[in-house]
Amino acid sequence: MRPVVLNAVLCLLMLALFLASLAVGPAELGISESVRGLLAGGGEAAAIIMREIRLPRALLGLGIGFTLGISGAVLQGFLRNPLAEPGIVGVSAMAAFGAVLVFYSGLAGSTLYALPAGALIGALIAVLLLLALTARSGSTLTLILAGVALSSLSAALTSLVLNLSPNPFASYEIIFWLLGSLKDRSIEHVWLALPLTLAGWLLIALSARAIDALSLGEETAASLGIDMRRARLFIVLGTALGVGAATAVAGTIGFVGLVVPHLVRPLTNRLPSRLLLPAGFAGAALLLAADVAVRLILPAGELNVGVLTALIGAPFFLWLVIRSRREVF
Amino acid sequence: MTAGRTSAIRRSLIAFSAVAFSCVQAIAEAPTRVMSLNLCTDQLAMELAAPGQLVSISFLSRDPSLSPMSGQAETYPVNHGRAEEVFLEKPDLVVTGTYSLQNTTGLLKRLGFRVEEFSFVQTIETIPGDIRRMGALLGRKPEAEALASSFEKELAGIEARQCGQRPTAIAFEQGGVAAGSGTLADSVLAAAGFRNLAAESGIVGMAPMSIELIVSQKPDVIITRAGEEDTPSLGAKVPYHPALRALQDTRIGPFVPRGTWSCGGPFVLDAVKALARLREEIAPCGALQ
Repeated sequence: MRPVVLNAVLCLLMLALFLASLAVGPAELGISESVRGLLAGGGEAAAIIMREIRLPRALLGLGIGFTLGISGAVLQGFLRNPLAEPGIVGVSAMAAFGAVLVFYSGLAGSTLYALPAGALIGALIAVLLLLALTARSGSTLTLILAGVALSSLSAALTSLVLNLSPNPFASYEIIFWLLGSLKDRSIEHVWLALPLTLAGWLLIALSARAIDALSLGEETAASLGIDMRRARLFIVLGTALGVGAATAVAGTIGFVGLVVPHLVRPLTNRLPSRLLLPAGFAGAALLLAADVAVRLILPAGELNVGVLTALIGAPFFLWLVIRSRREVF
Repeated sequence: MTAGRTSAIRRSLIAFSAVAFSCVQAIAEAPTRVMSLNLCTDQLAMELAAPGQLVSISFLSRDPSLSPMSGQAETYPVNHGRAEEVFLEKPDLVVTGTYSLQNTTGLLKRLGFRVEEFSFVQTIETIPGDIRRMGALLGRKPEAEALASSFEKELAGIEARQCGQRPTAIAFEQGGVAAGSGTLADSVLAAAGFRNLAAESGIVGMAPMSIELIVSQKPDVIITRAGEEDTPSLGAKVPYHPALRALQDTRIGPFVPRGTWSCGGPFVLDAVKALARLREEIAPCGALQ
């Protein structure tokens, strides 16, 4: 498919799901009522519901989905590994641990700014650790095993911090951090996450040429005049910023970054850089769709969206492992 | 004020004569070493036990955000509800809640300890009964009778001051959980003269309620949990969501003193009084005429 057509189709799909996300919720608002609430404003209940509850939620679904999709695409290209993804390699889990550690310890009072601060540090440490681990041996197995270790350790530490919190209700929030959710988010969270994710997208976009060259091997890339140190820095910072900010406001949402590049790749010319934008659109579409689905499946209790993405993603991951078994083992 | 003092004198007279009657009997039956394993039974036991009778209470009672008696709790040794602790202490009566520590309770019963359980399903109507039952268990019936009847009298007094004005309220806990019908908070709201919107919209027990629903119902008051400023959690921020703050005629805050309605005990009256004052402020009865 021609890149322009593919991008246009995926972008339209994303926008349609964005509108669907605005239309779904426990308060039964009619279409005209919703549109009026969104545009007219004022103190009406419909306006508050649309502007303060549904709009932030849809914006976060779009932004976080885009981030996860593009991060998955860039990691798969950069590490030349079809199983790389922020969730599987442990970046999301470390980001969640960082956010939990800084926020619940009360070091920064109870301000929400503690969340992205801690999450960015956690994500950065995870990416650097993975780079160090894979510097010697670039095998798929090393990366995935390192990711498994990192994820389990961060999940255990996250649970530990929440259990040790003097607030007896904090331990109920373990599930939010391990299987993320967009429930009850507000425009504050959008302002918290959006600037950081935008910066992350920009850095990843700037390293697009480098990952194309990298697909030919590191030495060839260097001979093509690519500044490998700069490219590595941009990708590390870009992924850490994006995934860190996303995890800080929505917890760990896994598998979006894994599934999406694989679904979109056959529709591209297989150049890693050409995958970035469509993977972003498709990631946003997938997360928005999942977030609409959790509100429809269990309207009262509401399922965590991370549960649904894991239900879709984990079997897909297994299938990928089986398909690439020769390469892995 | 004067009425309160007179009733207090009368209460102590009744209590005194009752003590005189049942003194011999009480000494014969009363357990001498009582352990309480549950925050709520702690409160009743501390109120009613004779000096030295209560040998330990649960560690939660020292947490000021949960227990209004945290100061008094400092004077008792604490336990963590473990069977080993009970075994070492060798009490002749253990009091605890029905749902907490079921394994411990079962084990203790098998080991031959006398365990008395108090139901967690409490409303304001069950409190006098629980007070009397604890009094009977501790051999302190007259004290319990005095406490229970003064509770009933004060409650009836507050309820009598209700009028047609019934503003709406939602007790909104951490993480977006509301107190629906059948909860202690529901009965406290009713006693203070509020309509509980969570119960009216079909919520039973403590269950999640979406912010969207609350916004569309526009309650007059949203009551949050008091005393969690120093220990941050995400759930504590839910009742202060910008969408709820955008409701111009809705008051949000911890209007109930810390820990007063987490357990069915005499302190629930403080919660009822605080809410009744709030109701009077929002919708004065005089305005009806």
